[in-house]
Amino acid sequence: MNQAAPVPKENQGEPVVRIDGRLKVTGQANYPADIATANVAYGALATSSIARGKVSKLHTDDARAVPGVLDIITYGDMDKTDKPKFGNTGASSIAPLHDRTIFHDGQIIAMVVAETFEAAEEAAMLIRADYEDDPPSASFDSKGAKVEPAAGKSPMLKEDVKVGDFDTAYASAAVKIDQKYSTPTQHHNPIELFSTTAIWQGDQLTIQEPSQNVTGWKIELARQLKIDPANVRIVSPYVGGAFGSKGPMTARTAIVAIAARRVGRPVRCVVSRMQAFNTQTYRAETRHRIRIGAGKDGRITAFGHEGWEVTSRPDSYVVGGTSATGRMYNYGSVLTHISLVHADRNTPGYMRSPPETPYVYALENAMDEMAVALRMDPVEFRRVNEPEKEPIGGKPFSSRSLVKCYDQAAQAFGWSKRDAAVGSMRDGDWLVGMGCATAIYPTASAPCAARVRLTADGQVRVQCGSHEIGTGVRTVAGQMAAERLGIGMDKVSVEMGDSALPPAPVSGGSISTASVCSAVLKACDAVRGKLFAAAVAGDGPLAGSGNAKLEMEQEKIVASGGKSAKLSDVFKAMQIGAIEEYAEFAPNGSTPEALKKLYAGQAEFHGGDQDEDSVKYAFGAEFVEVRVNSYTREIRVPRIVGAFAAGRIMNTRTARSQLMGGMIWGIGQALHEATEIDRRNARYVNRDLQDYLVPVNADVKQVDVILVPEIDLDVNPAGVKGLGELGNVGTAAAVASAVYHATGKRIRDLPIRIDDLIA
Amino acid sequence: MRPFVYERPTSVSVAIAMASHVDARHVAPTQANTQFIAGGTNLADHMKLGVAQPVRLLDLNTLAEPALRQIRVTDDTIRFGALVRMGEAADNNDVKHRCPLLADSLKFAASGQLRNMASLAGNVLQRTRCEYFRETSWACNKREPGSGCAAMEGFNRQHAVLGTSDACIATYHGDFAQALIALDAVVEVEGRHGPRKIPFARLHRLPGDTPDIETDLAADEVIVAIDVPLEAWSRRSRYLKIRDRESYAFALASAAVALDMDGDTVRQARIALGGVATVPWRARAAEAALQGKVMEEDVAEKAADAAFADAKPREHNAFKVPLGKRTLVRALFETRDMKV
Amino acid sequence: MSNSTSPGGLSRRTFMTGSVSAAAAMPLVATSTKAAESPTAKAAEPRDLSTISMRINKQAYTLALDNRTSLLDALRDHVGLTGTKKGCDHGQCGACTVLVDGKRVLSCLSFAVMNEGREVTTVEGLASANGELHPMQQAFVDHDAFQCGYCTPGQIMSAIGCIDEGHAGSDNDIREYMSGNLCRCAAYPNIVAAIVQARDEIRRA
Repeated sequence: MNQAAPVPKENQGEPVVRIDGRLKVTGQANYPADIATANVAYGALATSSIARGKVSKLHTDDARAVPGVLDIITYGDMDKTDKPKFGNTGASSIAPLHDRTIFHDGQIIAMVVAETFEAAEEAAMLIRADYEDDPPSASFDSKGAKVEPAAGKSPMLKEDVKVGDFDTAYASAAVKIDQKYSTPTQHHNPIELFSTTAIWQGDQLTIQEPSQNVTGWKIELARQLKIDPANVRIVSPYVGGAFGSKGPMTARTAIVAIAARRVGRPVRCVVSRMQAFNTQTYRAETRHRIRIGAGKDGRITAFGHEGWEVTSRPDSYVVGGTSATGRMYNYGSVLTHISLVHADRNTPGYMRSPPETPYVYALENAMDEMAVALRMDPVEFRRVNEPEKEPIGGKPFSSRSLVKCYDQAAQAFGWSKRDAAVGSMRDGDWLVGMGCATAIYPTASAPCAARVRLTADGQVRVQCGSHEIGTGVRTVAGQMAAERLGIGMDKVSVEMGDSALPPAPVSGGSISTASVCSAVLKACDAVRGKLFAAAVAGDGPLAGSGNAKLEMEQEKIVASGGKSAKLSDVFKAMQIGAIEEYAEFAPNGSTPEALKKLYAGQAEFHGGDQDEDSVKYAFGAEFVEVRVNSYTREIRVPRIVGAFAAGRIMNTRTARSQLMGGMIWGIGQALHEATEIDRRNARYVNRDLQDYLVPVNADVKQVDVILVPEIDLDVNPAGVKGLGELGNVGTAAAVASAVYHATGKRIRDLPIRIDDLIA
Repeated sequence: MRPFVYERPTSVSVAIAMASHVDARHVAPTQANTQFIAGGTNLADHMKLGVAQPVRLLDLNTLAEPALRQIRVTDDTIRFGALVRMGEAADNNDVKHRCPLLADSLKFAASGQLRNMASLAGNVLQRTRCEYFRETSWACNKREPGSGCAAMEGFNRQHAVLGTSDACIATYHGDFAQALIALDAVVEVEGRHGPRKIPFARLHRLPGDTPDIETDLAADEVIVAIDVPLEAWSRRSRYLKIRDRESYAFALASAAVALDMDGDTVRQARIALGGVATVPWRARAAEAALQGKVMEEDVAEKAADAAFADAKPREHNAFKVPLGKRTLVRALFETRDMKV
Repeated sequence: MSNSTSPGGLSRRTFMTGSVSAAAAMPLVATSTKAAESPTAKAAEPRDLSTISMRINKQAYTLALDNRTSLLDALRDHVGLTGTKKGCDHGQCGACTVLVDGKRVLSCLSFAVMNEGREVTTVEGLASANGELHPMQQAFVDHDAFQCGYCTPGQIMSAIGCIDEGHAGSDNDIREYMSGNLCRCAAYPNIVAAIVQARDEIRRA
């Protein structure tokens, strides 16, 4: 049996193989730095070695003397451009070459352009800077770090989430906990390196760069360069992993564009793994205080969640996960507050389930503690607190299958065989622990355009400026068209990753499948409309079937009465060779400007907690078995089971892979991943894949994904909830709970390491 | 990376002559203008980082001597040619059978690809993975003598607790070397003044005041072979490596153990500890504590206490003391229980 | 045109541009035998280019390269074979894995100049001329053993090497011996399943 291709259940699509699978296994899929570019020169960055201060003098003579060096872009050279903006499209407002202020370690101080990669690297290492340095603030508790309320600092968090009288409820609760949790700085570390290639042809600029937002970047880059967006094209046909890191554009893109204009030839800058830690975004470290009060029956009466998040000096990046944690269960009262801590760091950004990963980790670890305090089974504790409506605004959930997820995952996992007593389960020298946690992710969608062409010989081409970052969106968009137009997948091609295509929103927030498929669906329906009209027309091949229900299958139009007409015959009757339709999708509740904003690279998100009628979330339940060696205390995860309900599943193969990958990410979050900071000087220490650990093959044994059928017609026309980010929410809490079950030690600060268990 | 001249010596003597030719006789091999390269997995990495800056590389892979690429097993010795790749040695059936510790220490190091590239001699000469050493903008006495040590008061979770000095706390991360030092291996070296043999325990130097000088080798000396004597303890031997993830990570603590048992009583023990010391680390006090004793929990624990009696933990690596001890205790029992 | 060997016919500058066009990626079969037999031109100065001959995917190439050029960059930037990926450039991720004389190695840590006379196989050299996928490639498609696909060429080359070394006997062996290839999308269970399928198929063949 091929586990990669789960048999579809109700409302689930076929496990069609990836449309780009062959290209990817033969090395023919072109990631941006792979695209053959004639006469290309190579860029290499030089970066600061202090986190705060000013560059008083830059020594570039040695670098310029390296044979093959063409140019060095540094202070003054970007003056005719506008500074980057922090926001949905821009990673940071820090404009590294616009002035000499250093805001963080590893800030760009120059870029060398040379004939060869080797010469560029050699020269970049020869650039020296003199600094006027000030003592930096590294993080929480650092002298000089500025703490302020997060609410109002970001459109993501207009006000802190609250309801009812928390203080009174908590004070009078029969059982309560009050604990602190933390999550570390983490970097996405997609295996593809970050890169920019800039090519000018006259006043036309083409940027080849891995991107999750080609339309947004086109607009933003044109703004920075003060040129017409019509002259800018962003090309990103394949993206070698993103996880949020390639969503916001960084300052480098404009620098490489300027360099290419200066040297009069294409310039490619592939950023080193180390430099990426500082010049891209990352997951902010967070701290949490959680208070839960409940009656002896386990019903929660008070939920308090305070969060603290590190961000840069100039930018207020808000992680902000209380919207989800505050709506998770049937709390009697909710009080939350989020604070930002401004430190001398690069600006963080979104990383796979940005708010939920840290905030739900804290909540779910606390839920397990609370279950222990109540002497309740942790699954039962969650069942008791299952809400009818979300507690903050009293709105219904568009659908919520959490209990079903728990039931199915618990059964598959064998939860009933767990002995609840701490330290009671053993296998030889290994302590066995079992834990569980809830996964939640808001379901959103955004305006999206797509173009679909069907030719008389049954070839379908789908065009959409979305991004194949590994999610399978190229495949499912093709599947949607193939199904709707009755064409085999082998005759479908899908073009994505190019700002010259119909615009799509940023591929983030798990919105792509819903948004793209809704637009493709609409375009296909327009094609069908034209074909159907021609087929049933007086001279059409299905003349007289005007009242019949028409479908398209196997390159035919089939009427409900049984009559059918070959596609080619319909085209012949129409005397045309192709039908091409351009469609725009906008979610329910979109503002009148929604589509205009799509073309401006500012697609509005709808769904989650934003809609009037209901709140929209996908849910899951994850169960983890850990083993802790009784001597040496290393922690291993031999088994993990997750059950997830996410509306219509377009393709059980790609869906399972995404969720599986997410759960393994969760194992990494729990046990491996942390960017370490030297607090004396606010510098990252482990800036590579030798010391920034992510799970390897041997860390992963059995991973079971259960796709729980769910139908939700409210979320969007495609009925799809996203699941790219759902899988790694909650996992770390399930691991922490399992470690507690095995050892009796409650670890609240991630990652959980031998260090915590050995003493 | 600094540009370099690349040359292909055809024999060991030619290689030595080419290395001796330059005025590099008074600097450590790692600082010399002319350096040897074999697998390149360590040196190429360091050259890219700017940590190593040779201007001339002599490729040892072009040396003609067949013995450099051979593993020869006799009744009393395993002789590894210096250019034998880690992967080949790990998979050698004689090695696996006659001395599992050797094979395991190789198998649990690095990755399949790296083991196919790295030579055995290059592997034992690998330099530290200290983050502050690898990144040239930090102060590091090993990389830049006299500049200070940023790790001392910095993030030092992976750093050493044994064999440290006021100048350096960088860990020696190799695994194979722990097996070699435990098993009394001897390194055969050729140089300008002819061949010499160095007991493995004297190959690496403690950091002391000169952490930049890492070995006893001169810049124009080449390791040609490593001899490992086969003794009563060779078959009952084991390498236990504890790390943050299941594979492809450096040891937080490791133990190389070889035991000669008389029933439950330890006749002789050979022990080395990895991941916790600045150099390959023979734990002689632990060996002595076991000699003639019945291997029981308290005996093993006392040996482990003896091994770490002089440990100097710092802010983030204090866990390595209890971890190192428990790793040794576990390794002792697992080795005792081996079927040989 | 970095793989041209016409003696003295190209200026240093032409060599150094190192740009890849479709033409630059054409193997020079005609000149290869001679070049492979003659000893490599000795580079006397650090910045001199070295002439290196090797066979890549069964085609002979002669390249003029900076000594610092890694085998990875030689493949990508000078031969135009971009299927082999750069993920870390420091031997930490496995994305650059290729076979050299049949053994899997990391092309980022190997100076190209050290590969004189060797036989290099990249992901582009696996499928047969008629387009039929190598059993490992087909198994990766069948088992969805990738998501973004970036680490995939390295995974596939490593997996072929792993089977050839005899380290794919059990699932646990595969996991251990494939741990040098990071997959950030974390397709690991699918990678193991794919290797099992390909292993059995290769054994049957």
